[in-house]
This record gives sequence, C-alpha cells and structure tokens, in this order.
Amino acid sequence: MSTATDRPPFIEKPRFSCPLGGAMATVGALPKAVAVLHASQGCGGNSNGAIMQAAGHLGSGYCGGASIPASGIGEQQIVFGGAARLEEQLESTLEVIDAELLVVITGCTAEIIGDDIEAVVRSYRAAAADGRPPLVHASAAGFKGNSYFGYDSVLQALFRDYVVPTKEKKKGKINIWGVTPALDVFWEGNLIELRRVLEGIGLTVNTFFTKQDTLADLRGAGDAELNIVVSPVNGVAAAEVFKEVHGVDHFITDLPIGAKATASFLREVAKRLDLDNDEVEAFLVAEKDAYYHFFNRISDSYADLDFQRYLVIVADTTYAVSLASFATHELGWLPKLVAVTDPTDLEERAAVVERFTGGLADPKETVVFEADTSQISTRLFERWPKPDGSKYYQPFSPAFVIGSRLDREFAESIGAGHLSVTYPISNRCVLNRGYAGYRGALHLVEDVISALVVNR
Amino acid sequence: MSYLHLKVPPTRDIRLRPCNAYGGNLENLVCGQKEGCLSNNGRTFAQTTGCQLTLAMGMAASIPNTVVIYHGPVGCGAGSLGLAGQSKMSQQARGNDDAVGRVWMSTNLSEVDIVSGGEKKLEAAILEAERRFRPHAIFIGNTCVPAIIGDDIDNVATRLQDRVNARIIPLHCEGFKTRFVATAYDIVYHGILRYLLGNQHDRKPIIEDEAAQIAYELRRKKTVNLLNVGSMGYVDEVELVRLLNAIGLEANVYPCFTSPEKFVKVKDAALSISICATHDDYFVEHLKEHYGVPYVLNTIPIGTDNVRLWLLDVADFFGIREEALKVIAAEEAELNKALEPLRKSFVGKTAFVSTGEIRAGAQACMLENDLGIKVVGIRAHHYDEFGEIVFENFKDRDDVTINVAANQPFEQVNLLRRLKPDLYLGHGNSNVWAAKQGVPVLPIYGPNNSYLGYKGIFEVASRLERILSNPRWYNTLGETTQLPYKESWYEQDPYLYIRQTTEAA
Ligand code: SF4
Repeated sequence: MSTATDRPPFIEKPRFSCPLGGAMATVGALPKAVAVLHASQGCGGNSNGAIMQAAGHLGSGYCGGASIPASGIGEQQIVFGGAARLEEQLESTLEVIDAELLVVITGCTAEIIGDDIEAVVRSYRAAAADGRPPLVHASAAGFKGNSYFGYDSVLQALFRDYVVPTKEKKKGKINIWGVTPALDVFWEGNLIELRRVLEGIGLTVNTFFTKQDTLADLRGAGDAELNIVVSPVNGVAAAEVFKEVHGVDHFITDLPIGAKATASFLREVAKRLDLDNDEVEAFLVAEKDAYYHFFNRISDSYADLDFQRYLVIVADTTYAVSLASFATHELGWLPKLVAVTDPTDLEERAAVVERFTGGLADPKETVVFEADTSQISTRLFERWPKPDGSKYYQPFSPAFVIGSRLDREFAESIGAGHLSVTYPISNRCVLNRGYAGYRGALHLVEDVISALVVNR
Repeated sequence: MSYLHLKVPPTRDIRLRPCNAYGGNLENLVCGQKEGCLSNNGRTFAQTTGCQLTLAMGMAASIPNTVVIYHGPVGCGAGSLGLAGQSKMSQQARGNDDAVGRVWMSTNLSEVDIVSGGEKKLEAAILEAERRFRPHAIFIGNTCVPAIIGDDIDNVATRLQDRVNARIIPLHCEGFKTRFVATAYDIVYHGILRYLLGNQHDRKPIIEDEAAQIAYELRRKKTVNLLNVGSMGYVDEVELVRLLNAIGLEANVYPCFTSPEKFVKVKDAALSISICATHDDYFVEHLKEHYGVPYVLNTIPIGTDNVRLWLLDVADFFGIREEALKVIAAEEAELNKALEPLRKSFVGKTAFVSTGEIRAGAQACMLENDLGIKVVGIRAHHYDEFGEIVFENFKDRDDVTINVAANQPFEQVNLLRRLKPDLYLGHGNSNVWAAKQGVPVLPIYGPNNSYLGYKGIFEVASRLERILSNPRWYNTLGETTQLPYKESWYEQDPYLYIRQTTEAA
C-alpha cells in the first residue's frame, strides 16, 4: 500500500507536474521574463495544460502557452547532443522575442543526454556586451522531483546568478517566498494580501510575482533584512541558497489564513525584526475589527442552519496545515481526515504531522500521507465507522471536502459539499482572489458558505 | 502495408514523409510534398508544441473502462490535470451513466530509476490498476525517459498478461521519436489492432439458427464503422449517423467512447468510414488487409461540397448513388433556406483558418462556398499526400497564404498583422494568439459543438454570426494586451526561421 512505503512505485492522478512545469509557471509569473525550454518538443505543451487550465484557468500571460520558445529535442539531438540546437534557439529568440530576462529550463531528455548547458550559458554571457537580456539556467528534469521543485530550482538559479550580491542590508526590508505561481492557484491574490499586511506593520515588502513587482526589485533583493518563507516545503531550499550567497537569514512559517493565524504570523515577524510593538498591535486591532465586521455576517444563517461541518482536507503540505487551522479555529469545524498529497520522505513525516499541533485536535490520528485520489475514501473509513445498517449508526454527516477538483467525486460519494482550493482546479476561474491573510480568509468564508447555500 | 508484426509502428516521419514547416503558395507545397523535399524542413526558432504521448493517451483515455498508465517521470501526462472532468462528460453524453472521469497513473520515475530501470514500478502500477479499477484495458504509454534508458514495456505487458483480466496494451509514444504528433493515431490504432482485435475471437452462436444467421448477414451488409478518434463531439456523431441512416446504413462508432469489449464487431462491418485521413489511414488500411473490411477516407464532411463528396463515396460503395443524391438535394435545399438570413452578416468578411490539414482545407472551403466569407490564409499542422483533395478549392489561388506549422504562434502573429482577417477559426492553443491581436475567434473543434454534416454548417454559421455581432471582448483584449514579439519581427518575412533542407533524406 502506498501509505506504508517510502516512495510509492506509482501515483494515481498526480496532483503536480514535473519540475519543468513548475519552472515554466514560475518564470511566466515574473514580469517580462521568458522561459526557453531545452526539452523534447511536447514537454512544454503538455505542462501548459497543467499550469493553465488546471490552475484556475490561468492564462498564457506574456510569453506562456504555445509561445514559449523551445529547442524541441528529437532523435538527432538524443544521438548527437543538443547544445548546438539550444545555442541556435537562444540566438533566434533574441531576434524575435522581447525579453528582459531569459531562463533556460532543461527537461528530462536534455539532462539524460548530458548537454553542457553551463558552457552554452557561459558563451551567451561572454557575448553580453551587446545589451542582451541576462540569462540563467534552471535544471528541471522530470525525474528530479515535482513541480514545486521546479519553483525552487528557478529561484536558486536567480539567487545565484541574477540577484546582485551586496553587503549592505536595509532595515525593515523583507522578501516573501514559498507561494508558488500556478501550483498555488491563488498565488497572486495571496501575495498581494501578504504584502498588504506586512506593509501594514511598517515593512518594505518584495513579492516578486505580482503585477506591482519589477525585475529590478528581484535584482536588488539581496539587501533584504529577512526572507520569509510561508511554506514548510516550497522555497526552503532556495532560501538556504539565498543565505549562502547573500547572507540573508530566513524565517520559515505557514501560510497564514484568517485573523488568528495572520495576527500570530505578524507578531512573529515583528519579533524577529524588532519592530515597534505598539504600532504592530494597533494595526492588528484595526484589521481584526474590520475582519469580524464582515465575517460575522454569516452568523444568522450559521446559527439557524447549523453550518458546522465534519471536514476532509485533501491538500499539499502548505495548504493542509493552514486550512486545518482555519477550519478549526475560525469556522469551528471538525477536520476528521487531512490527506497530505505531496510526496514526503518517511523521515520527514513526523515533522509534518508536528506542524498540525494546535490546528488539529489529534494530528497523529487525523493526518495521512495519501497521494492517490481513489484511496481518500478508504482512508476516511479507516477512521470513521462504515455504515453497518444499524438503526443508530452515526453517519459522516454533515460533511464537507476542501480539496482539489479531483476530489469532487469523492465528496459526492459521501454526500458532502465540496470546494476546490488546492491544485488542480479546473472547475473554477481564479483572477485576483486569494485566501491568505484577513481579506483572503473572508473570500474563503464566502466560497465555502456559498457552496453550502448554492441550492437555496 | 502491414506493420502489425512490429512492436512499434513506423513514425509518420518515415511512413508518410509529411511536412510541418512551410510558408508560401499551395502549388509549391503540393509539388514539394510529392517530391519529398519538404519533409526535412525545420525551424531555427521554434516554440513548444504537443507530443504524440499527450495525444495518444488522450485518445486511449476516452475509451470507457480503461486505465492509462504513463510510464515515465511525473510530468508526462500532467496535461490531464486540466481535463479531469472532460471524458466523463463525453461518456455521459453518449448515455453512459456510470462514466467515471479519466483514470490515469504515473510510474513517477525518479533519479534512481534512471539508473536501475523502471520496469518494477510499471509492474506494480499495472497490478494495482487492475485491483482498484477492474478495467477492460490498461494502456501503457511509454515516454521519452524509459525509451532512452531501455525499459522493455512489451516484456512487462507479456509477463503480466496472465495475471490480470484487463487487456494490457503497450503504446510506444515517446515524444522525441517523431516530429509529427499525428503518429499518435497510428500508435493507438496499432495497439487496438494488435492487442484487442488480434485477440478477440468471433463469438460463435451456441445454437446454429439459419434464419437468424441470414438476418444477421443482411444486417452486416448494411453496417458500417464510423471512426472517431475523439475530435468528433457527440452531436457530430449523431448528425453523421443520421445521414448514414438516411441512405439505409447502420453505423457503429469506434474507437473513442466505445467500450473495448464491443470492438470485436469492427471486423464484421461492410465498410469503414473515416472522417479524416490524418486520423485513420493506418487503421482502415490494416482493417482491410487483415479482415477484408474496405474503406473510404477521402475527406471530412465539413461544408456542402465535402459532405456531398463524403456521402457519395459511401453511397457509391453500396451502389446507392441515386438515393444519396436525393438525400443531398433535400438536405441542401433545406440548409440553404436556413442559411439565407445569416449570410448577410458575412458579406465582405475575411477569415483565417488554422488546424489539422484535412479539417483546415474543408473548413476553409465551407467558409467560402457556403457562407461567402473570403479566406485569406490557411495554416495546417502538417501536410501530407492526403491534403490534395481538400485543398483542391484553393488551387491557383495566389490570394490565399498557406502556412504549415504546429502552433508556432510567432509565424501566425506576423501573418495576421499583415492579413488583418475579420475572423479566425483555429485549434486550441493557437486561438488565444489571434484573440490577443483583437481578432474574433471561433474554436474549430470542440466536444460540445457541432461542425460536421449539414447541421454543422448551420451551427458554425450561426456561431460566426453571433461572434461577429459583438466582437468587443476581442477588440478590448487586442487593445489591452502585449504580445511578446519585438516590433521588428513583424517587418520580417514570416517564414524567416524555416530551415529548408533540400536533400531528400
Ligand atoms: S518527456 Fe517526452 S513523452 Fe514526456 S511530455 Fe516530454 S516530450 Fe512528451
């Protein structure tokens, strides 16, 4: 069984693509950055479905979708090597495409045949005198991990070769990492809200991937006082590289959703950065006030219609932890099963379960590591008695499932409500909606409660 | 041509020597294709496109009661994530109430597997697919990585076949092996021919009943295979079956959306009817050779000219031309009446068409001859010997630009800036780049819409009329979006980056 082994021999309907897909999404979210794929011809097209339609119908953006330049490794390159084809593609890309940053993303075939990409990059840079856009290389072979790894890989390349090293650090300037474009379908909305609340306590904030950010901000990110990584998984390895190259420390925490989580997140940040306590508290009071002003609008219907639910959460580590805590502490719901869907090494699992302390009544009992969609139901009924036909059987009801689009059939099968919050989401369209912070949490309440009243 | 003894059928690159990089007039294309001097053309600037794996597995996954296993790293197949509900809807449309969405697995090959091989993982996946889903068939799609490291999926399939009830069908659809995504059709049909048909035995009646036998034979003589590789929505199937019924034929639809256990009947049909040579030439030829089922595959029934050609091809085979002509006359008269009020909104309009070669040619012809819209350019994903019939209409037409490319929006934006069409009819992934130039778009195929037969003509006309009646969303998009191309690119020859390789390799 997949739960018992370290790495399952297969995954049913994996909820991520490969590093190449994650890297494409990450580059595509940077202003006027353009990816150049050094991979087989179909890798990009195939990944596009994953980072567009499956990501809340995220559009092709500036140079995404079918526009992404690609070397298209074929039999000839497999046999004779593909470096020359990549060089040719880079030169022609410069002629056709208007880019301010180029990121070569290498896929499976390129990395197996062992093309010397560093040599290609070196010779590109040697010709940089003619005002070419900077070029970095992100390794993203499919066999190296999943799409989240691709996010990290692009960041690492940027931190090593694009962000300008500086000894001077600016007091009160921070960078945010860990929110993965496309793979967190609500990434841009989340980043916008995180910036808003951090600015609210007096910080200068770089989010890199929103409309407001520029490549100059990224280039100059080396003088930050702190890197905040709002995920225990994504961006952590990249933050290590940042520390090594630029000497900036990092603070790893969970994505805050709701007034309670956001307040403790901001207090922690304030403590790390030695901010003025009174100013921070004043902001928190005002935000809390505004938040409950809206949040409490559900009170009449909640009380009359009994909106409390048993809950199943199906999510990657980052969202699972945050959603569990939000459901328990803000909605007053009862998470009974939390299925963590990203592959986690056996040794790391105890630490992941540990993160749910406070968010769940009994993390050890509630959290499972299960990537396979069809097995979620099995996991639930290992924890909740199966219908036995007896008169006083207690059904798993009223229930709700917060997961991805893939979990809708499971929700239907147990008569539960359903909302797609985690990747993949092909059944919703997401623009600037976010679920983080105060304002994001209000959206989450709107969407969850709307799912309950949709038939009224 | 029989390739069924081979584990892997030849790629289109070798079998048909098509071209996928060309720009210019039709004459040079047809000529160059015949001489075989275009098939090695490439591009020195290229943009990402699909691979045969994605197409092959999409086709396989649309067959009910199957599981598809991507044997490879976790990203091959990730495109399915955007389509989670799609095949369920398609199957439900055809009356399958128990339809489940697409069921797929990935063997998630890791760095370790690159060294030690991935066959063990594939075995585990097959056994678990059988245990969890009890499918009729399990398709294994081999991807680039295991092909390079030398996994033997045929061996795994043979080894496990005795242990599972599902028919195991290995598909060699590694992306890097072909430049022509359409090879995917051959791969899936090859799997069906070799593993489903080759192994199904005709059901012998338990009690021989002579009368029943005669009745069956009579029926068989009027029963045809209508082939759908997934590009035909249910409404299109219904329309074509209606037309075939009208000339006295019964039709069964294969292979998509039909459960594998029903495939055995494909061998009994009197005729196979293709709607597109790009899809079916490999399959119908093999059906003929191995099971004696003749076929027609000249054209796709889009637009009155091609519907007529298609239907008469079928009728001629059965010797019922007169009946067919009567049906055609009645249908055309009725259609013309319905089209009349729509035609005025098309006066003076121009269009650009982009999709697979057969559909592109026929759709362009339909726009001109049925609706009076002038076609200014046609793009085909590839071009091969089957294109000539559908492109006939555009012979000697110097006012129509011909471009052969799979996606490659950079060529398209350059062309559209020059041609400024009023309408764009195109394939997924290309449409948006026309839309971003402010050109109103009609997707040229889709599972929920009608395109084929007489109903398809009317439906496309009325959708075009609707789109033209308020193109503001497109206009605004064109005004507010920025394309990634340098201004200087639009002044260049759109075909600047096509690499001509003259020697016929
Ligand atoms: S690695 Fe090969 S099979 Fe997989 S998506 Fe890329 S081109 Fe297709």
